[in-house]
Amino acid sequence: MTTETTHVRLTVNGRVYERTVEPRLLLVDFLRHELGLTGTHVGCAHGVCGACTVIMNGETVRTCITFAVQAEGAQIKTVEGLAENGRLNPIQQAFHENHALQCGYCTPGFLMTVTEFLDENPDPSENEIRHALAGNLCRCTGYVNIVRAVRAAAEKMRSGAVQR
Amino acid sequence: MAETRSSGYIGRAVPRLEDSRLLRGLGRYVDDLAAPPGTLHLAFLRSPHAHARIGSIRTAAAAAIPGVHVIATAADLAGLFTALRADYERPGFNRSEWYSIAVDRARYAGEIVAVAVADSPYVAEDVLELIEVEYAPLPAVVTVADAVKPGVASLHPNIGNVFFQGSFKSPGFDAAFAAAPVIVRETFTGSRIASAPMEPRGGLAVYDPGRDDLTYHATTQMPHIMRTAIAESFGWSESQIRIIAPDIGGGFGPKAYIYPEDILSIALARKLERPVKWFCDRMEDLQTTLQARDHRFDGELALDRQGIIQALRVRIEVNAGAYAGYPFGSSIEAAGGAVMMPGPYRLKYYAYEARSIATNVCPAGAYRGVSQPTAFFVMEGLLDRAAAKLGLDPAEIRLRNILHADEFPYTNAIGIRYDIGSYEECLKRALALGDYAGYRSRQTPTRFVEGKYRGVGIACFTEHTGQGASRYRDRGIRRMPGYDSAVVKVLPGGKAAAYVSQTEIGQGSITTCAQIVADRLGLDINDVTIVEGDTSLTPHGSGTGASRGAVAAGGAVLRAADKVREKMLRIAGDFLEASPKDIELNDGYAHVAGAPQLRVAIAEIAAVAHAAHDRPPPKGHGFGLEATDHYDPPHVYITNATHLAWVAVDPATGLVSVERYLVVHDCGRVINPLVVEGQIHGAVAQGLGQALMERIVHGADGQQQTVHFLDYLLPTALDLPPIEIAHLETPSPETAGGFKGVGEGGVIGALPALANAVADALKSFNANINRLPLAPDHVLDLIDQHRDRRVTAA
Repeated sequence: MTTETTHVRLTVNGRVYERTVEPRLLLVDFLRHELGLTGTHVGCAHGVCGACTVIMNGETVRTCITFAVQAEGAQIKTVEGLAENGRLNPIQQAFHENHALQCGYCTPGFLMTVTEFLDENPDPSENEIRHALAGNLCRCTGYVNIVRAVRAAAEKMRSGAVQR
Repeated sequence: MAETRSSGYIGRAVPRLEDSRLLRGLGRYVDDLAAPPGTLHLAFLRSPHAHARIGSIRTAAAAAIPGVHVIATAADLAGLFTALRADYERPGFNRSEWYSIAVDRARYAGEIVAVAVADSPYVAEDVLELIEVEYAPLPAVVTVADAVKPGVASLHPNIGNVFFQGSFKSPGFDAAFAAAPVIVRETFTGSRIASAPMEPRGGLAVYDPGRDDLTYHATTQMPHIMRTAIAESFGWSESQIRIIAPDIGGGFGPKAYIYPEDILSIALARKLERPVKWFCDRMEDLQTTLQARDHRFDGELALDRQGIIQALRVRIEVNAGAYAGYPFGSSIEAAGGAVMMPGPYRLKYYAYEARSIATNVCPAGAYRGVSQPTAFFVMEGLLDRAAAKLGLDPAEIRLRNILHADEFPYTNAIGIRYDIGSYEECLKRALALGDYAGYRSRQTPTRFVEGKYRGVGIACFTEHTGQGASRYRDRGIRRMPGYDSAVVKVLPGGKAAAYVSQTEIGQGSITTCAQIVADRLGLDINDVTIVEGDTSLTPHGSGTGASRGAVAAGGAVLRAADKVREKMLRIAGDFLEASPKDIELNDGYAHVAGAPQLRVAIAEIAAVAHAAHDRPPPKGHGFGLEATDHYDPPHVYITNATHLAWVAVDPATGLVSVERYLVVHDCGRVINPLVVEGQIHGAVAQGLGQALMERIVHGADGQQQTVHFLDYLLPTALDLPPIEIAHLETPSPETAGGFKGVGEGGVIGALPALANAVADALKSFNANINRLPLAPDHVLDLIDQHRDRRVTAA
């Protein structure tokens, strides 16, 4: 029951935040309750379900098993940082068009996982998609439409990249 | 031809209105709500024993920690609320109480013994370990068999550990059963499972001491029922209580219940006059959110030599856990399974005995499909056994017994009327789409193909949907109203809003209700707002559950919208000097049928109705353009489906993989095929989880050993195949709109389809598939036990 605190400075969705926190404060609680970015959800608090996934320094991390102080100096992207000028990005749009979300609680974690995945593998097979998604749990969709949405987003992003 | 924007929404795959917020991280789930200044956080000290006397509780050390507000025990909260009583006095029901904090005795591991109230959730949880409780452990009864042994102490006064028992026997049953030349018998057991929505349970109670009123934000599917329960428990007026269900991260049944944490947080908010918040972690959720499917069904199916069903008898025992949950009570699984068991087949003689037994484990209750998945695991399992005994193909025995289109309406052996359906057609379509005959013709007796045993399973079933008040009264579930309600308004500017008594928990009801309103009022769907999940904004009704939404809430929306429509047509008739019956509403305009140029904007009609126009309302009509209506589905509406599953069993690992999955179903008139397919996908996945991997394990002492997602396994993207769906659409002639429900069918079909497929794959071992899950250890046992029985011929 420590009252010791420490200073943390990090960038979230392009904005710099500085706070004084307890060393034991979890990154997910920091994002949600200190910064008010409540799009990142807690599903299991033991690093299994993936609902709390964000991208930190270019890689996905589970914020329910990461301390806020571990993010000192980090660049973080959360679900709130995906839409561009209020418009859904191609992954979000594909989730919408393919009915890839129901209750929406796990969705932010999936979106962040897929963001990293399609960055590394822009033309994945169905099997590769399923492997990439296997660390995120969804209880509503049976993953059928999430897999479809990832495929659709990949196609759209590839054709977009060619046009550019 | 250009599609009209504002008609024909019903039946179309409209992408959901719910999505945009949720995709941008702007959803507002309970734990996302900004806590008001001064909010206190709760942590719950739970009994580590499944059954124990509670002696002294020492709280001083915990209370002394900075940031701790108070440590509350049952003694501190005495008199603030009463126990919840779900069941009424009625033959077969042994009424019991569930008090929200253990007084003297804990009846399951996880029952709340004390509550820490602190400035932060971290501190509240920290100090739990400083609370010292003297427990005197008592013998724990974990199984039904133990709970009903002579001499075992009753967990509740005067119930003998039997919460509920019921029975039924068709006149003439005994003679029909005795005369049948072929009987197949088997005992089937499920495993206890968890609904495990991705969002655990939580609540935020905000009390206003000046007004003595409460706003409670809760993870609930049924806010109106919750309001009634709280009013009753606290002796409060419902008018002083507002329940808000914000975004809900999945429900699946267990979030329909009122939990001890709800009552305790409200009691503390009122006592301390401070906002109070709690949010379960996953371990608490897996340990204390109502569990399900801890069933034993002894089934006996009697047939003639042609495989025609003569009679069915079943004895059902449900391990109901320590308490009867509110609102559905103790009979939900036992009686539900019994009543829903006579499925899509001609069955004249039926008999059941069913009972719910109290034990020292977490209470059990309604989870997607309730007992129907087990019931059809039994029915379809018995049919496959009968087919094998008679040398018939599993498809053939079903074709001989399934109801034909010309037999509807059909009243089954227990008095449930099937209004209409496509039972035989679904089966035939599934067999054709799955090339069942071709698959069978290629199968070898060993079923061994490329290193794995492969097989196919069929499941035909009925799904009880859209139950109305009469059904719940008949079942003795009086805490569930059975009707739903809607207020539909066209606002002064010409846009519409509907306030509906159900709650959106992921099922897409905002979109489907908006489709109905837009169609009936001739508006663009983006000009329709749907509000759900707030007892102060929406009219009283049942809420979300039991595949009732499209039927009951959809019906209420349709009826209320039609009342508003009628007045709009009157006003338009005045404008256009035409009879209201000749006017159509479309694209934001009212126009004369066949003369689209003769039109008036709906915005102008709205202006008339709200005194914002020179023109007065039509004679006999006052101002305003809104209506309330309620819909009580007169009976229960039966959705039908056939599932086919193809599996491969790896004899080295025991792992079952599902290689193909096909659903052919009929849920009446479809409002939104996208949403319907999503419901089926998700439900099949939950059924697959139950069939192949999910199980709650208890030690002999009643300790739950599966308390996180590392040992309570949920299906992942690697476990699910793509799911193929074909829709047949036979609108109900009886429900408003012709809709039927579809939320649970996927689970119901997945259990028997997968179990039968694994049995088929392991046919050469003569493996008896009578318990779930078919996890690798179980499958390897089946293979090893039966290796000597293995058929190697031909």
